[in-house]
Amino acid sequence: MSRNVLAQCALALAAVALPVFVKNDVVLTILVFSFLASILAVSFNLIFGITGQLSMFHAAAFGIGAYATYIAMHDLAVSFWTASALAAAFVVMVSLVIGAICFRFRLKAFYFAVVTLAFAEMARLVVVNWYSVTNGTLGINLSQRPVLAVLGRSITFESTLSWYYLALLALFATILVCGRCVDSWMGRCFAAIRLNDELGDALGINIFRYKLLAFGIGNMLAAFAGALYAYFLGSIQPAYLSVGQSLAIIAMVLLGGQRRVAAPVVGAIFLTLLPHIIDLSAEMRAVVHGAILIFAILLLPKGIVGTVETWVRRRAA
Amino acid sequence: MPQIVLGQLLNGAIVGTLYGILALGVTLTFSITGIVNFALGAFMMTGAYGTWYLTSVHGVPYGLAVPLATLGTAVIGLVADRALFRFTRNDLINGLLVSIGLIGVFDNVTLMIWTSTPHTIDVPVGGSVAVFGVYLPRMKLIVCAVLAAVVGATYFALRHTWAGRAAHSYAQAPEAAELMGVRTEFLQSSVFVYSTALAGLGGALYASLYSIDPTIGGPFVLKAIEGAILAGIGSVLGALIGGIILGVTESVGALFLPLSFGNAYGLVFLVLILLFRPNGLFAGRR
Repeated sequence: MSRNVLAQCALALAAVALPVFVKNDVVLTILVFSFLASILAVSFNLIFGITGQLSMFHAAAFGIGAYATYIAMHDLAVSFWTASALAAAFVVMVSLVIGAICFRFRLKAFYFAVVTLAFAEMARLVVVNWYSVTNGTLGINLSQRPVLAVLGRSITFESTLSWYYLALLALFATILVCGRCVDSWMGRCFAAIRLNDELGDALGINIFRYKLLAFGIGNMLAAFAGALYAYFLGSIQPAYLSVGQSLAIIAMVLLGGQRRVAAPVVGAIFLTLLPHIIDLSAEMRAVVHGAILIFAILLLPKGIVGTVETWVRRRAA
Repeated sequence: MPQIVLGQLLNGAIVGTLYGILALGVTLTFSITGIVNFALGAFMMTGAYGTWYLTSVHGVPYGLAVPLATLGTAVIGLVADRALFRFTRNDLINGLLVSIGLIGVFDNVTLMIWTSTPHTIDVPVGGSVAVFGVYLPRMKLIVCAVLAAVVGATYFALRHTWAGRAAHSYAQAPEAAELMGVRTEFLQSSVFVYSTALAGLGGALYASLYSIDPTIGGPFVLKAIEGAILAGIGSVLGALIGGIILGVTESVGALFLPLSFGNAYGLVFLVLILLFRPNGLFAGRR
């Protein structure tokens, strides 16, 4: 276990030190995107890999977080940080309502996935059609940048380097929050729900409450990721809430591995880097992307992290 | 006004049979192989493009192109089953992701070969007939009749042949079925391939009514899954009825409620069904 912690600390340090050696703006930009995708994947894994609920609402939480942050900044004239906190609070409220409906009616597995997918599609239709607020399919261009005031000095997040550290910090915070949840009494309830929720119920665990908790925390973190993603990219589009986005998140988690909190990061970085590494036409790239997804699922059932762990353990033994 | 409502009702029912044929594929695949094959939309698109390619480029008569395209789709389905879906039996999430990957491959290969320009084929049977004072194109009625006949034939085959009863018994108790001499691996593969053939047929008939482009499959397969759930997974005639209900809800809903939310009515309906009648509208009957 300590070896594992050591390895994670080494990786974290390497990530912090990376910009000293890599000055290329394109590389840093891709890394920022992969860190933001990692936040999504890690928070999704709290609901899916840890608690065992296949939610299709994650992209919707991500998108609603982005739109709500913009609306709060634009209409209430608050700072980016306050706005993203308000957006996260709004997303938590929405997910509590949706979660309460789903879990009160004891929807499981495929049926939970379908109902959350239906709610996500409804959210997307609202965003596409509520033209006066969201500007419909055209999306919104964001000109403002987050500003952080520390000790009388203000930092504007404009350069790729500043975003690199902001995204990295947010990713660390996400892993820390999810890790603390999993290592606490909550994590044991989550695991009980994943393994056998009826047995957990019989043993006196309030499975309704803990399912709701996992769903709420996961979606809250996704909303933060949405706020950061939108303001880094500089635009918001309804495609944020698409089914494809949710599926991309699932692919990241499966490719990385589900059983460890930080494992989805590997999948997220891999899938974000992939299109930039293979230099092909857009259609050919999509074909290769699909093929890699298929074969990763069939050949690496434990994900990259799980496979590497098994391999290391076998060599050590 | 009643004329418009009736027209929308009939049109919705006809589009609904197209949802229904795909819903039948979804429900059969789910009952026997334990996965939801999202790629059925891609197989439908393959059938549609195959028909277009045979009729418009090679001048094959439409009546011959439809079975050929259906057969071609089934062959591709067989290859996909042997190479990929054989390894995802009863694994919902892996099956889902493999079919998503497959959609990416299919759609983009089609884009590379035939670009995103929409294509149409000449209407094989022209003219229209009046039904209760509403004029409907003949071709639409033929499509509707063919699809309903195929669903009906599937229903009877499942009830009255040995293979059909084997499928039923497998859906209820896989191990017992295997002990009674059902070749389960063969059964799973044939059901998978049959569902892709159904999707191919749906696409081949779709091509005679609407213009086709590489993205037609996606929305259709979502509707088909909704339709299959509406009726209750596992119900054959229910899949057709579920598809028709969905088609009618959308087309009639579009008259009275804002058009831009057209896709939402089906979703609301679906959520309500899943919450209050989780086994589908026709639970208990097969």
